[in-house]
Amino acid sequence: MHALRKHLHPGWLIIAPLLVLVLALYLGPILNILWLSITDPEPGFGNYAKLGESDALVRIIWTTVRICIITTIFSVTLGYSIAYAMVHCHQRQKNYMLTLLLVSFWISILVRTFSWLMLLGRKGLVNVALEDIGLIVEPIAFMRNELGVLIGMIHYMIPYAVLPLLVSMQAIDHRVMDASRNLGATGSQTFWRIYLPLTTPGLVASTLLVFILSLGFYVTPAVLGGGKVLMVAEYISVQLLVTLKWGTAAMLAALMLFGVLAMLWIMSRFMKLSTVFGGAAR
Amino acid sequence: MQDKQFMKEMLTEGAHAYKEGRMDRRSFLALCGASGVALSSVMAGDAEAAADHVVMWNWGGQSEECHGSAIGDAFTASTGKGLKFDTSGPLEGKIKEMVDSGNVTADVADADLFNAVSLGPTGHLEPIDYSVVSKDKTLPGYALEYGVSVILYGYAFVYDTEAYGDNPPQSWADFFDTAKFPGMRSLYKWANGSLEAALMADGVAGDALYPLDMDRALAKIKSIKDDSLYWGSGSEAHSMCVNGEVTMGMIWQNRGRNIENDTDGRFKLVNNQAMAMPGAYIVPKGNPAGAAVMQFIATAQEVPAQLALLDCLGMTPSNPAAFGEIPEDQQDYAITSAKNIDKIVYNDPEWWGKNGGDAVNAFLEAIS
Repeated sequence: MHALRKHLHPGWLIIAPLLVLVLALYLGPILNILWLSITDPEPGFGNYAKLGESDALVRIIWTTVRICIITTIFSVTLGYSIAYAMVHCHQRQKNYMLTLLLVSFWISILVRTFSWLMLLGRKGLVNVALEDIGLIVEPIAFMRNELGVLIGMIHYMIPYAVLPLLVSMQAIDHRVMDASRNLGATGSQTFWRIYLPLTTPGLVASTLLVFILSLGFYVTPAVLGGGKVLMVAEYISVQLLVTLKWGTAAMLAALMLFGVLAMLWIMSRFMKLSTVFGGAAR
Repeated sequence: MQDKQFMKEMLTEGAHAYKEGRMDRRSFLALCGASGVALSSVMAGDAEAAADHVVMWNWGGQSEECHGSAIGDAFTASTGKGLKFDTSGPLEGKIKEMVDSGNVTADVADADLFNAVSLGPTGHLEPIDYSVVSKDKTLPGYALEYGVSVILYGYAFVYDTEAYGDNPPQSWADFFDTAKFPGMRSLYKWANGSLEAALMADGVAGDALYPLDMDRALAKIKSIKDDSLYWGSGSEAHSMCVNGEVTMGMIWQNRGRNIENDTDGRFKLVNNQAMAMPGAYIVPKGNPAGAAVMQFIATAQEVPAQLALLDCLGMTPSNPAAFGEIPEDQQDYAITSAKNIDKIVYNDPEWWGKNGGDAVNAFLEAIS
């Protein structure tokens, strides 16, 4: 007992109930999914072997990854410019921008998805206007295809990209940039060689956040894709609810989980991940 | 097992006591908590069902009101039991999950007859008691061991009268003919009905569809892929037509009527070669109200209930005795009306129950 007390800080006893609860409620279901993926319908790695046998599964995963990468590139690039503008404009304008950003952040994903249909659908505002002024004859197919999914997802993801970048840009000491200009660097040199490297942790954080959230997108592809853009989340839901292939669903879920963990691990080889989440560099 | 039985009985007793006011709410909830029953299921299901109700698991929306007035009132009048609803939608996976978890909160699910074929033999459903429910009050072949068809819905299509004018599409062959009838069309995303329509368009006779020739059907589906959108819910199909995204749309026939109304007749429903789908009532294994639910299903089979469901939801009667009584203004829309019954084809729940999962996946892979 004494020996135990010596090694175990009494603080652990206080947080033990919470710890046990979190482990039970969080790890339990995850382990259950992993278990399901190697036991349903029969024990073994049959579900994982399907990845090698079925072109369709590989194609769905590839569609998902491709869409997520494009979404991430555009969201983070646009988010970077927005955050940059916000940090460098007047306080008043910054407040306006922040309000607009948060309002769109808080609006339900369903509302935002269907608004795009109103705007860019075949009989949407934009197509009708362009037809009326005679610029186009046939409506442009913005929606119900992969382009539509990308527009919807990028729009949804921009606030997620901006917020971590904003935090990281606000923390920069501006005298560093002044010093750079003072020492003779041009504006663009200062940006590329001083500003951008200093915002790297924010950049990585928003890239990770956007990419990981994009992987699980369900509503936007289902609605804006017109049934032709099948991403992993929707496929998993169909396997769970309609075709009852729970093993396949669990396998894909496990694959996503390991994919994300692997990504974090690779990142951690190149940089200290704690800086991304606001920790000190050393 | 014994423990579970004991818990269940204790809770049932508790629910009765709570309902009659012998036990306060707090103690009842504590009892539920102690026996490990989730609060939500207690409020929605267990307690309600135990307290002299039958819980119907349906798809929400209008159906709550309609099932209440069409079946619930007559059921309450004859048995004294009430009707409650769980409107979360009894998809096959949800039924399986509910039964597997041992926490069954619904008595009867408004599902498809093919669900009875796939979930029955795996022990997830109670068999239908045909001493209470009648096999004669539905179409032949639609009274199965684990489910009985109470209504029919149909896969038909609507077309835009302004797009096709004097020479409108009249069959699935026309629907798949993009040269003669240019424009976007929409099909059902989860394969059902879409596969049969494709085969009929390819020249297969309506009574020789099963077993479905998957390769042939998918080839036909793919042939119009560039001109197709796919919908996953009735409201989505509806908005694709009303918003002018498509000029032809496969649709549930009861939705077809709404689309005609909402577009002031611009879209028109075609019931030729419509596929009759048996909508069935199935009972999750270990349902809380027990055998009383069979009486409910029997009530739904009666002609007045059948006609009320048609009037309220647009669901077509499956009891042949009701076919002759379909009112004049529903003749065009009810697929078993005298006007339509010779033109329709019938879904085979046996084939879908056994092959549905693979068919849905193959279809999704073909369209994505």
